[in-house]
Amino acid sequence: MLQFKLVLLGDSSVGKSSIVHRFVKDSFDEYRESTIGAAFLSQTIKLSEQYDEQVLKFEIWDTAGQERYKSLAPMYYRNANAALVVYDVTEPGSLPKAKLWVDELKEKVSDDKLIICLVGNKLDLAAEKESSSLVDESEAREFAKDNNLLFHQVSAKTGENVIKVFEEIGEILYLQNKDKIQESKKPAGSNVSLQRPSTNDSQSCCV
Amino acid sequence: MFSPSAPDLSQNSGELNASEPSFASDEGTLRKNVVRNNGQSHHASPSKRPKSTILRENSGGLSFINLYYDSADKDDDDEAQLQHESEMNSYKVDQSNSDVEQLLQEGGPMRLSARDGSNSNLDDSGSSDALNTAGLLPTPESESRSSQFLGSASLIEDAASNSVKNSHLDRYGFMKQNQYISEKQFNEWWTNYSKYCIRRKRKWKDLLLKSGLPVDNDSPTRFPSKSEKLKRYVRKGIPAEWRGNAWWYFARGDELLSKNIGVYDKLLTKINNPSFASKDTEIIERDLHRTFPDNVHFQKSKDSDEDPLTIKSLRRILKAFAIYNSKIGYCQSMNFLVGLLLLFMDEERAFWMLVIITSRYLPGVHSINLEGVNINQGVLLLCIKEYLPDFWQRIYSNKTHRDSGKINNKNEFLYKLPPVTLCTASWFMSCFIGVVPVETTLRIWDCLFYEGSHILFKMSLAILELSGNNLPKAHHMSNKNADDEDMELFQAIQTFPKQLINPNDIIDKAIFKRRLKFNALNQDEIERCKKYVISQRAKYKNFQEVMKNDTANSSKRDSVLAQDLINETFSNEGYGFKKGLNGVNWNNNIKERVRRLSRKR
Repeated sequence: MLQFKLVLLGDSSVGKSSIVHRFVKDSFDEYRESTIGAAFLSQTIKLSEQYDEQVLKFEIWDTAGQERYKSLAPMYYRNANAALVVYDVTEPGSLPKAKLWVDELKEKVSDDKLIICLVGNKLDLAAEKESSSLVDESEAREFAKDNNLLFHQVSAKTGENVIKVFEEIGEILYLQNKDKIQESKKPAGSNVSLQRPSTNDSQSCCV
Repeated sequence: MFSPSAPDLSQNSGELNASEPSFASDEGTLRKNVVRNNGQSHHASPSKRPKSTILRENSGGLSFINLYYDSADKDDDDEAQLQHESEMNSYKVDQSNSDVEQLLQEGGPMRLSARDGSNSNLDDSGSSDALNTAGLLPTPESESRSSQFLGSASLIEDAASNSVKNSHLDRYGFMKQNQYISEKQFNEWWTNYSKYCIRRKRKWKDLLLKSGLPVDNDSPTRFPSKSEKLKRYVRKGIPAEWRGNAWWYFARGDELLSKNIGVYDKLLTKINNPSFASKDTEIIERDLHRTFPDNVHFQKSKDSDEDPLTIKSLRRILKAFAIYNSKIGYCQSMNFLVGLLLLFMDEERAFWMLVIITSRYLPGVHSINLEGVNINQGVLLLCIKEYLPDFWQRIYSNKTHRDSGKINNKNEFLYKLPPVTLCTASWFMSCFIGVVPVETTLRIWDCLFYEGSHILFKMSLAILELSGNNLPKAHHMSNKNADDEDMELFQAIQTFPKQLINPNDIIDKAIFKRRLKFNALNQDEIERCKKYVISQRAKYKNFQEVMKNDTANSSKRDSVLAQDLINETFSNEGYGFKKGLNGVNWNNNIKERVRRLSRKR
């Protein structure tokens, strides 16, 4: 089975663990314990027909958000295939923190295939609040576009868009690795086709 | 420093016992001083200690425990009676309900535990009572507090009328059931373990009485001096209701508090100032409700939006600590340390215990760069290499082959920590809270405060060994790649310990069993190991900086040479563990004795 390493980064209390739990266990708790160090989880998904119904396994590193844990972070994102950089749409201070994470990833991870997705969480709370107290959506969108990031707004509480984030990342990973997959599927001894990796989809933005 | 090495103690235990009376009386006067001073500060400015509910806030949980034991203790002399559980349960409910009534009439849970206070040792019990109730005397603000108190009384009532067995909660107020353990599993374990607890408590009582120490109000404040016997008792578990006092006593809390009388109150005054602001405040606020959300003492009551008292105490302690020790400020995981302390002791003591934990037991672990975590990880890795060679193979050797082709540098893992440390970082930061089930965590803390921080390393080794045994065999020959193996390993290390519901399985069998290899690992060894790791990490850092400057503009070949130089330098310095009984030291010792004997002849 194809396995990919995915890491979650972002300020504390933006809902990183909640997103993971929605994805892995399809559950939500109003109050989730703060993550200390890191937690490791995994989840398997099946892509749509368009992607040959490929089954992928995500190995997910959910990290602690507090600033000082940053020194441990390189261990988490080393060899990562994808990163979710999460902010809280109701907490304007969390977007600049997310931007810093993106900068760090771009600087420290040499693999240009790394997929980064900027995720605004707590969309369910946004409706109740005045728009002036929310993160400016267009700013986040623009930042994602400028940096070739995927961008999604989700709610771990309602589940809105959460699976979509992982599916989209899975599809891109599939396209990135299509060659290898087809190669391994071929019976031994047959000719290996030298297809080129398909386009630059990994860097496209889904805005 | 705090490094009670067991062998020394056993040799000197006679001497220690002999000097005990004077020590005990010192302690007595010390305590009285504390009480007097506390009283003074209280009178001087009643508003200064705004929440004199300190003790009350946690007594919900403690009274809960008491109720459970009170009924059980009646059966002390006839354990067979324990079999009649239905009888016992109905008795328990009656007893508890009347306790709650009494409690409501008298106006405070502390009265509850004091209800059958004996008159023996009047002096001592009097002073400790004064300490306990200092915060509970009626004050002008008692009106608002009394409503809060009713809140916690209803908790007690709920808990008591259901007893642990019929409740969804354990005796500390945590949900029995979680992702890893079902309520059924919990109940099965608890049926036996509660009997074990009762048995142990009886033994503790006997020990205290024999040592001439009072067990007044089921809340002893002094414990026997250190001995092999006491160590064994601690390892088998301190009675839950005595934990707060025992931890405080063994960690020498009074010593610290007596030097800092009034300091906590001053800190509270500071943080209560409306103009007070700290960069940690916001992060603390975010974590308050994310501290034990499944524990009833940390949950808001249904009909009130107000924070529960435990959360209020937690907030004050964390904020106060952030300004008390600005080098640490607030570090996520401290919320859990304080949260657990608050289930067993009052607010001021919990604060000072946090000071003790972060300075004596886990120095540097919560500091801004978390260097203490890295150092502890380095020490743990050295221990794994020495004591769990198979496991070591698994986490390290195949990785170096993969990454660099050859092992140049024996100590590289001390500064380039392998991925397994992603899992173990939290073990040190939160002192095993959330890593193993709560009862096991508490048993570890018992040993931690009595024996010192090396317990955490022993525990880690035991967990790693057990988790490793639980894994499918390593796939050295198969085409499974090393990353997959890592993932399997992480999964096992993270999940397996959470399922270890019976503390005795791991504590007696995996850590303290006689002839166990980890037994040679004492506090001295860990301290020595730590110094070694610190020096190696510092050297490496300096080296890297020098090399960086030197090779900033030079070729790749130079940097390769530099790396070789580093490797060469460090590979010559390995860490040597002192060998246990089977090692060289012992043989020499025997040789010496034999020589002496033959000379005598």
